[in-house]
Amino acid sequence: MKDSNVMIHVEDLKKSFGNANVLNGITTDIKKGEVLVIIGPSGCGKSTFLRCLNMLETPTGGHIYLDGVDVTSPKTDINKTRQSMMMVFQHFNLFPHMTILENLTIAPTKLQNKSKSEAEKEAIELLKRVGLEDRANAYPSQLSGGQKQRVAICRALAMNPEVILFDEPTSALDPEMVGEVLDVMKELAKSGMTMICVTHEMGFAKEVANRVIFLDEGKIAEDGTPEEVFDHPKNERLKTFLSKIL
Amino acid sequence: MKGNMKQKRLRKLFPLLLLVVMLAGLLTGCGDKSEVGASNVKKVDDLETATIGVQLGTTGDIYASDYKETGATIQQFNKGADAVQALKQGKIDCVVIDEQPAKAFVERNRDLSILEEDFVKEEYAICIAKDNDQLLKKVNKALNELKKDGTLKQIIGNYIGDSTKGKQPYESPEGIEYKGKLVMATNAEFEPYEYREDGKIVGIDVEMATAVADKLGMELEIQDMQFDSIITAVQSGKADMGVAGMTVTEDRLKNINFSDPYTTATQVIIVRNGKSATAFDLSESIKNNFITDARWKYLANGLLTTIQITFFAVIIGIVLGFIIAIIRSSCDMTGKAKLINWIMKAYLTIIRGTPAMIQLLIIYYVIFAATNINKVLVATIAFGLNSSAYIAEIVRSGIMSIDPGQFEAGRSLGFTYVQTMRYFILPQAFKNVLPALGNEFIVLLKETSISGYIGIMDLTRGGDFIRSRTYEAFFPLITVALIYLIIVVGLSTMVGRLERRLKNDERQ
Repeated sequence: MKDSNVMIHVEDLKKSFGNANVLNGITTDIKKGEVLVIIGPSGCGKSTFLRCLNMLETPTGGHIYLDGVDVTSPKTDINKTRQSMMMVFQHFNLFPHMTILENLTIAPTKLQNKSKSEAEKEAIELLKRVGLEDRANAYPSQLSGGQKQRVAICRALAMNPEVILFDEPTSALDPEMVGEVLDVMKELAKSGMTMICVTHEMGFAKEVANRVIFLDEGKIAEDGTPEEVFDHPKNERLKTFLSKIL
Repeated sequence: MKGNMKQKRLRKLFPLLLLVVMLAGLLTGCGDKSEVGASNVKKVDDLETATIGVQLGTTGDIYASDYKETGATIQQFNKGADAVQALKQGKIDCVVIDEQPAKAFVERNRDLSILEEDFVKEEYAICIAKDNDQLLKKVNKALNELKKDGTLKQIIGNYIGDSTKGKQPYESPEGIEYKGKLVMATNAEFEPYEYREDGKIVGIDVEMATAVADKLGMELEIQDMQFDSIITAVQSGKADMGVAGMTVTEDRLKNINFSDPYTTATQVIIVRNGKSATAFDLSESIKNNFITDARWKYLANGLLTTIQITFFAVIIGIVLGFIIAIIRSSCDMTGKAKLINWIMKAYLTIIRGTPAMIQLLIIYYVIFAATNINKVLVATIAFGLNSSAYIAEIVRSGIMSIDPGQFEAGRSLGFTYVQTMRYFILPQAFKNVLPALGNEFIVLLKETSISGYIGIMDLTRGGDFIRSRTYEAFFPLITVALIYLIIVVGLSTMVGRLERRLKNDERQ
């Protein structure tokens, strides 16, 4: 809040499902242009944390501020907030009844009052960026997993968001397709996009992330640069975790 | 490609062809059907062990049921004509029915006779609601005047008696200023008291009621319905009076008041006399069933009514069904608005848990009891409500079948709940449930065939009506069935086409 570069300020975020406490008070700041990777053992609350950020899950406690506005407040128009905080899902969640082009243009035209031709022009530009401009009129079912995820990223970009949340974007892909999606994400990171990624791709984290958070039992157990977290882990659980996956 | 199309069309036509072949087979079968022979009822005493056909709720029904104790079997039919048909086919031994309609039946069927021995004599009267003494007094006064000035005799003579028949119809005196309507409930399948001729309801009762109405300075409106619905209609105020060759009985007096009797009638027994029925002649039969008196019009008009009811009921069903489905699935998803959800669930349970026919009768006789509302509208509402419950559950299952990720994707893009539903969930859900919806429309179309229960002349009733005039089951029933079949096949084809078009969207 004090630092003018802070885009998202998370304060004592808590989430429980019934008796299960998934997030036990998370406090952190995410700066503009930062590429934050969240790692942790399964069930540690990574995805829940991400989904709380754009209120797909309603937090049970704490606050989230986006550009100083309390996202968790009922007074905040969450639909407006979400438009600057896009999400890319593990299972892509493209709309199967629409063409790729329609998938990319529906939100800008319906929510940002863009004209159809303008939105389509921008969509084609985005598709070119990920090398899929020739599939504009195809339906999602005609695309491979990697292609679908690239389209999903384009769908998020089409709204010109301030930040994109990636929820395990490569976990549902065949191994040979992971690369093409990561390439797009790398390119995006270089362009200065603020990104928060939950991922198991440690290579990506090492190469692209500015910062890595290790979540354990709903708390931040370690927070630092990729070198600090991967090469000089302090937390015991993190050491065990890294020894298992690296 | 073209050859392929042709083949497809042929395949579609195949079931129809098969049916035509089956019909032809049936037809030839009808020609040489074996004779059933004479009834074993020769005198009134023989009723003790016979199978007796009666019209449901008539005095014949009441008197015949006394024979149950002695081992007779009573079969109740909705219409006299149905009983007569069953008699012709040997399903029952005799029919107990009023003398005048019996004469009409026997006149047209040379294999039937009336036993000379009368079964029972009775008096016909007009029934009026218990709390409507004012009308009762007026009607009695009018009847008395009509008896005195010979009008009543003239009217009866216009229908009974060889020398006077058709020669002295009642004509309303000139210069009457009509104030209000007098609604008469009847069952126009009881010649010569009330029956349809050239689409109009005519008969002794109709003319007599017109004369009474003229005396009262009111305009007569006739409501045609099942015989056993008449008393309910009068009680509930749907009709002011019931005039349907109705005999005064103790049971009826418990529920309703009767005017002074306006004529006496005799219950007689119709039996098979052993003579062979008129030989079956295909062209004669077609002519008799469809051409004579422009009977095909009953089917054509009935079809229009059926389509009208179905079409508007489908619209009500879809609109209401979608609304309920969306509310239900929203409540289920968010866990909010439990009361509304509960109300919706109760609605669905009630509508899906009771027969459509009962719903139709309740809506007509209970909910709209006091209002004089158009029957077709009532049926449309009833079937629309009925269908809405099924459509709601079909659509809800469609919504539930959509991956929750679709919903999250919509919301995460910044769409509101309603927008997400509209742009992403419902279009997909609709596509998924289209076959089930198509099926529901087919069911609905056929379900409307019970409209006749509140006296609507729909397709089924149109066929029934022809049957009651020609005493032939084959052509009216098969034609009605064929018409339904053709509409259903057409409807299925349309739904199938729509389905394929929507599917093409997603696949290569």
